[in-house]
Amino acid sequence: MTVRLPNWIRGLIWTAPWWLGFLIFLAVPMGMSFYISLCDYPLLQPPVYIGMDNYREMTVDPIFHKVLSNTLIYAACAIPLGTVLAVLLAVLLNQPVRGQALFRTCIFVPTIVPIVATAVIWLWMLNPQFGLINQGLGRVGIEGPTWLASPNWAMTSLVLVSLWAVGSPVVIYLAGLQDIPEALYEAARLDGAGVFRQFRHVTLPGLSPVILFNVVIGIIATWQVFAVPYVMMKGSPGPDRSTYFYTMYLFDNAFRYLNMGYASAMAWVQMLIILALTGLVFLVGRRAVYYRGL
Amino acid sequence: MTVRSAILLLVLGLPAVLLLLFGPRNTYEVPSDRTVIRYWEKWSGLEGLAMQRVVDRFNETVGAEEGIWVQYCAISNVDQRTLVATAGGDPPDVAGLFDHVVPQFADQGALLELDDLVEEFGIDGQAFKPNWWRIGVYNDRLYALPSTPYTIALYYNRRLFRQAGLDPDRPPQTIAELDECSRRLTVRDEEGRIVQAGFMPAPALLGWWHWVWPHFFYANLWDGERFGLDTPEGLACARWLAERRAEIGFQEALAFEGTAGAIEGSQNPFIGERIAMVFQGPWVANWVRTYNPSMDYGVAAFPSVRADRRPAFLSSDVFVIPRGSRHPREAMVFLRFVLRQDVMEGLCREHCKVSPFRQPGPDFFDGHPNPYIRVFDELALAKETFGHPAMPTFKQASTEMLFWLENVLQGVRGPEEAVRNTQQKIDAIVNDYNRKAERRRASAR
Repeated sequence: MTVRLPNWIRGLIWTAPWWLGFLIFLAVPMGMSFYISLCDYPLLQPPVYIGMDNYREMTVDPIFHKVLSNTLIYAACAIPLGTVLAVLLAVLLNQPVRGQALFRTCIFVPTIVPIVATAVIWLWMLNPQFGLINQGLGRVGIEGPTWLASPNWAMTSLVLVSLWAVGSPVVIYLAGLQDIPEALYEAARLDGAGVFRQFRHVTLPGLSPVILFNVVIGIIATWQVFAVPYVMMKGSPGPDRSTYFYTMYLFDNAFRYLNMGYASAMAWVQMLIILALTGLVFLVGRRAVYYRGL
Repeated sequence: MTVRSAILLLVLGLPAVLLLLFGPRNTYEVPSDRTVIRYWEKWSGLEGLAMQRVVDRFNETVGAEEGIWVQYCAISNVDQRTLVATAGGDPPDVAGLFDHVVPQFADQGALLELDDLVEEFGIDGQAFKPNWWRIGVYNDRLYALPSTPYTIALYYNRRLFRQAGLDPDRPPQTIAELDECSRRLTVRDEEGRIVQAGFMPAPALLGWWHWVWPHFFYANLWDGERFGLDTPEGLACARWLAERRAEIGFQEALAFEGTAGAIEGSQNPFIGERIAMVFQGPWVANWVRTYNPSMDYGVAAFPSVRADRRPAFLSSDVFVIPRGSRHPREAMVFLRFVLRQDVMEGLCREHCKVSPFRQPGPDFFDGHPNPYIRVFDELALAKETFGHPAMPTFKQASTEMLFWLENVLQGVRGPEEAVRNTQQKIDAIVNDYNRKAERRRASAR
């Protein structure tokens, strides 16, 4: 006997690997984490419902404000700097010069170095006495700062390290550059545009959808920054908490201080912030991004 | 399939097949008739190997008789992992933790109370020095058993002392003497950079216990209810830290601290003979023997305000049985074996630490790898001793104390302001914890 299942059940069966995974590993944990965010939950005792207390606590928690501002400053520095650098490098690497493949490889290689190894390398590069950077500055008569040990320079150091991984967006920008029709450059040249005006009026508009994509990815990544500062600062929040980021405080609350309820509330606020910023970028992008053919 | 792809498949596939067939296997197999005890421990390297030998000895002897097999697993961040595993209902049967987490874990109900089990399994608490046994007690209940204990003392470089015109047989006994020695031992290059320091209390320069310094000014940081940094003793300590630092130079000191690297090797500033005095534990002798065997050093009680009243800091690794352990009784059989004096002292010797027993075995000190082990042992019997504050919120308080120290050492805040801020933060942490605990109790009722 053959049982003929309705189409919608067959569809569900065939798509089960996705929706089962979505339910078990995403939807249910997210629902649970939202419930926990409304509870006092020290992990080892049952959660106690406390309503919006965790969210209210955030408004008066000075450490929360500090990590929020640190992360905001980090994002505000790392994203624009990374974007400008990546676009410039991509344009340079797009020039038909000898050894082009070698240059491209050199820019990309740092991104495949494991994060922890990168952090340790930079730890030594930024060493106040023996580090390459201060040695280099010393050669030109500048006394380098104490970098990670200084409340004024620790954040700058981490922004500097974030530029190390610029190779990934560079590859995406390079792909985007191939998509800009050569005819546009020819037309611009015929109109008398020089290199900079071609860049301003052809390259940048042509790349704008890719820039939008990379900025959104950058927002998500910077708001989740954890591993590099955690390794470089050896788990410490840095001088005067100057390198204490949102996700580090969330992690500490969850697994060191056993405030899983507060940590869950922080995670939800983090998601809302990322959503809001992404929405804002898309809003701005409506005017600034040029979609060819639309 | 082309010849090229066939070759490629062979080149990539053959090693994988060979690895599967002849690759590494488990070094042992668990006999089928044994109850398996999962033992999570923080130690790896030489310390881990020493513990593995103890486990092997148990498995071959008592374990074989009692039908128990202990599986040793070295775990990083063992306290966090144990906690998460316990919360998830699948904890190890035995965990080797740090003593400072016991109040937090016990207060959250993560640990099994051991009073009755210890009595039932004939482990005699009286055989241990009271200080070490008390480390596992929280709210009058026993939650942890001492593992390899240690005291912390002043290590000083005798060669550098001689070089600076100081008497290497008379290490500093008071804070004032420590400052004077430190001044004379500090060496700068022609550009004013510090190339050799006397003593610096920064965590980067092996002052790992960043909260201890007020104790040498006779502060009692935790009285069971309140964390007391804002006392005259706490303030005196903050002023001392700030004044010493200002004298050395904030930027110069920070730059020097940045030169400290990995603790095991010549990057270690004490082993590299770039800092003359450090506050450290007995294991340093192991590092010296390995990385700078010709180094001439001494060990003494850490200085305090008065020479005749010098508090000693003691701490210990501990064994616990997490709540939800599947085999607590078998775990106790294993712990009874490990806490046998011959076994525990063998382990302590290999870890270069002191014996937790009232009467160390006759051969414990002879041939001990730490030439100053008697100094460390005597510190455990000092008139005045202190350990980690037994507060369930110690991790938060410790983080705030780190900021306090960093703020003072970097001149970000004046000593009074730093003390005031830190006191307020820790008070808030403790009050918040108590408020939540009360709410939970009310909810449970």
